[in-house]
Amino acid sequence: MSTDSRGRTVDVDLEQSVGAGPFRLLALACVAALIGSYVWVLREVTQVVGGTGSLLVLVGTMLVAATVLARAIRPRTATAAAIVVVVVGFAYYLEATGVGVDAALAATGTILDDTAALATGLPLLRMVEAGLWTLGFAPGPAFLSWYLAVRGRYALAVVPGGLALLFLVLTGDAGTTITLIGTASGIGAVGFGELERRGGSVAQADLLAVVFAAMIVLSLSVTILPGEDEGATFSGGGDGTLEGTIDTADERSGISGQVDLSPEVRFTVDSQEQSYWRTGVYDRFAGDEWVRSGSLDEYDGSIDGPPGDHETVSQRVTAQTELGVLPGAAQQIELEGPPVRHAEVSAHGQPQPADTLVEGDEYAVESAIVDPDPDELRAAGTDYPDDVIDDNDYLQLPEDTSSEFEEYTAEVTAEAETNYDAAVAVEQYLRSSKGYSLDVDQPAGNVAEEFLFEMDEGYCVYFATSMVQMLRAEEIPARYATGYTSGQEIDDGEYVVRGLDAHAWVEVYFPDHGWVAFEPTPGDAREDEHNDRLEEAREDGHDDVDIEESEDVPISDDEDEEEESDGEEPNESDDEEPNESDDGQADDDGPDDTEPDDTEPGDADDGTSANGGSGDGFDPQEVVTITREQLAIGLLALIGLAAGVRRTGASRRARREFRLYWHGRRGDPDEDARRAYRRLERLLAREYRPRRRGESSRQYLSALSAAESLDPRAERVARCYERATYGGGVDREAADEAIATVDDLARERLPLLDRF
Amino acid sequence: MSEPTPQSAADRAPSEPEPLPVSTIEDLCTDVESNVSRVIVGHDDAIEHVITAVLGRGHVLLDDVPGVGKTMLARSIARSVDCTFRRIQFTPDLLPADVTGVNVFNQKSREFEFNAGPIFANVVLGDEINRAPPKTQSALLEAMAEEQVTVDGETRSLPDPFTVIATQNAVEPNQTYELPFAEIDRFMKKLSLGYPDAEEETELLGRAVGHHPIDSLEPVTDLETLVRARETVAEIRVEEPVRAYATRLAGYTREHARIGVSPRATISLLRAAQARAALAGREYVVPDDVQMEAPVVLSHRIRTESRDRDGESVVADALEYTTVE
Repeated sequence: MSTDSRGRTVDVDLEQSVGAGPFRLLALACVAALIGSYVWVLREVTQVVGGTGSLLVLVGTMLVAATVLARAIRPRTATAAAIVVVVVGFAYYLEATGVGVDAALAATGTILDDTAALATGLPLLRMVEAGLWTLGFAPGPAFLSWYLAVRGRYALAVVPGGLALLFLVLTGDAGTTITLIGTASGIGAVGFGELERRGGSVAQADLLAVVFAAMIVLSLSVTILPGEDEGATFSGGGDGTLEGTIDTADERSGISGQVDLSPEVRFTVDSQEQSYWRTGVYDRFAGDEWVRSGSLDEYDGSIDGPPGDHETVSQRVTAQTELGVLPGAAQQIELEGPPVRHAEVSAHGQPQPADTLVEGDEYAVESAIVDPDPDELRAAGTDYPDDVIDDNDYLQLPEDTSSEFEEYTAEVTAEAETNYDAAVAVEQYLRSSKGYSLDVDQPAGNVAEEFLFEMDEGYCVYFATSMVQMLRAEEIPARYATGYTSGQEIDDGEYVVRGLDAHAWVEVYFPDHGWVAFEPTPGDAREDEHNDRLEEAREDGHDDVDIEESEDVPISDDEDEEEESDGEEPNESDDEEPNESDDGQADDDGPDDTEPDDTEPGDADDGTSANGGSGDGFDPQEVVTITREQLAIGLLALIGLAAGVRRTGASRRARREFRLYWHGRRGDPDEDARRAYRRLERLLAREYRPRRRGESSRQYLSALSAAESLDPRAERVARCYERATYGGGVDREAADEAIATVDDLARERLPLLDRF
Repeated sequence: MSEPTPQSAADRAPSEPEPLPVSTIEDLCTDVESNVSRVIVGHDDAIEHVITAVLGRGHVLLDDVPGVGKTMLARSIARSVDCTFRRIQFTPDLLPADVTGVNVFNQKSREFEFNAGPIFANVVLGDEINRAPPKTQSALLEAMAEEQVTVDGETRSLPDPFTVIATQNAVEPNQTYELPFAEIDRFMKKLSLGYPDAEEETELLGRAVGHHPIDSLEPVTDLETLVRARETVAEIRVEEPVRAYATRLAGYTREHARIGVSPRATISLLRAAQARAALAGREYVVPDDVQMEAPVVLSHRIRTESRDRDGESVVADALEYTTVE
């Protein structure tokens, strides 16, 4: 339309229009918030693995550089610079991880696989060099976003930042709140940028606010609805899941949160020796959750065993329900049977099934059990192999770990001369100083510290977490293990393991020996709870709580032993028993006792904590993961919906519809008069017929008034339009009158708006 | 919108006439129209078209069967304005000099003197123009286009205003020459009067049996007023949307006919539309003005491929399918 090509003269209406300044500031603030949103996500990663300082300095440098360069270089150069920054960053990351840039070039497929894995929900924390990765990831988008924003290209500025955030959403690291903030910022940047560009008014800023509100409310309700019971929306909520995103849900789906708590039988083990049945190992502590770093490799027929002496124990595990894990005595070195086909092995040597086991699935496990004497362990020294110290996070502490925590730990272990003594000291300290309770509220912040300083009681997860962190503070490599206690021995060498038996404990590394298990959870009072619960379930008539025979066998037979063991263990610290791995596996030691209790705790608490309490089967992960999937799916659906809406032109139609009733910002009187007339035409088109192509406005209206009873006001609007278009223009007053007339005409045709 | 454009007076050269207020044009035309309709019964549209052509500095070609009042229309309009009026009856033996005039040797002064032809008049009626051979017709070309004639290498200006109203006979194709296309293009409008309806004809007969009314027709306006009115019309505003619309119409004819209309046609169209707008007392042209003038301004300049389709139908389609904005 030729008329549109005329320059829009901005009719400065002081009351309505806001200078471009505030809008620019708002738009810049929004871009900054967008950058901030994903830097925040990355910061959460670096807080766990270290490097927050570098990250912030790097991003800050990029922002300054972008500000300085905004006037100096052209967008194309800036884009190239951002790409160079990203490439250099990742090249450095690859070199640092030992993969090497050459390898990266040679193995593009692997890199693509990794990226795909990340983009389909692998949390950043699982990456071995998560800190370096974030340092490579952050600067490029930050630089480009800010550069474009400073240049006033807000819509473009949102693209790199939005992509970065989207990636983090896909990895599952960006929570709903952060995602929402980032998205809102992005939209705000575009909106305010547009307002700045067009010299918008307060009225339109209001509109933007309405859009914001609608968006936030809608997106919250959308995310709340699907997972109602979990209140999935705000991840990291206070529900106290100790183990958050550790595994992908599909691998763990067999054990859901409630099942864990339940006395239902999960599996039975035929074993020469009693043992904890380990199902998961975690190395990275994020303050409120444990994360397993590193990738999964396909099981290739054997798993590396411990470096030192060990005895080999064969077990036969039968799933009694759906099972998403492969329990077995640590350290599993060989697996056999249909369920373990395509099994995957974590970087820590823990196998897990590719598919969920179903009831009746059976597999054989060969485990290498490390069972050294305390004296041997005392003599083990601290000559740790590189792969324990450097390549893993076994010494990792969250960045925000306080000095008090370290000092306090130093006090606890002051007497210890060797790492073994230190481990025993910590174990004993926790067992003796904290009570056992399933009924705890998850503390905010660093769980290890909170448990040590603020809480009087907790369950296995709290004990094990605190112990690992305390040992790490003493530079002793330790990790967090989850699984099941040995369960009820119903026959010689046959163990029935129930959801209640889920447990968490500690593994400490000793040179030349390998990982040795420790049990910081006090075993004393728990068995009772365990037994009570089981009895309850039996009385309630649950079918799944027993397999044949198991009902007849007294559960307490463990207990007796346990009691002894309990008694022993505290004392034992000096002696052999402390490292329960030995004892526990060998006979029914203290470990057993303690364990059952732990599982139950999970139940007692709210669903989430329950999960935590249980072994590795942790439901909490599932819940969280599902939420993130839902979030990702929801986002995708929204994007798809938006694209669809755009494609079908629905938004344009809606806008047109809206513009029919709302004139919008007034500017050039001529343009206003023309717009008023076009609205009139659309109104009339709806009521009578559209104007024909070759029909002038006069002819149209006279044709209508000849045939119908046309409102005479329409004629006035048309005259005004004519003067504006052909007659050299109209004044403000005439244009306003035309607008008002059309407003009236439109409202009369929309009963709902009569009131206004 | 009734205020005259302020800059017009200042910009104009001193010799140029002062334009009349737009509102007076309507009255002026009404006067002329009613005056003419004392002679011509019916044909109000045609009268208006001739008036707008005169105001828009164009020439008119009246094309119809003999005896429907073509000549009478031209004469009565010419007489309504107090101006010089000459009539040229075109015949097969008419020579160009008979139109433009000749240099004659004056025995007394021993010099050649220009003996002005009938074309030196404010309104020239070229009667049955298609009876003259093309050579003579072409004498009109320069006069109509340039408002000047050249005789023996000497160029002489024609009076201002200068309007040619030509008639041509649609019958007797064997005894007529078809007007050259270039000449046709120089007529702003081609009009057909058509037969009067029964009532009009009865009325017409009643008037004609006594003294012919044309003899008693008095001028209702003078030359100066006409010149000023033409100045007013020239200043009628034609905004870009209207110009673009005219361009689109022309484009349509070029796409849908063997020969579409020339840019000269578009200029004529807008000039006619200006006059039409002035007639309505408006200071600017609206698309309606263009649409009203387009059939008579454009149709005769279009050559179609087939006989079933003539210029009128092309223009009608153009008006229907060209977007008005």
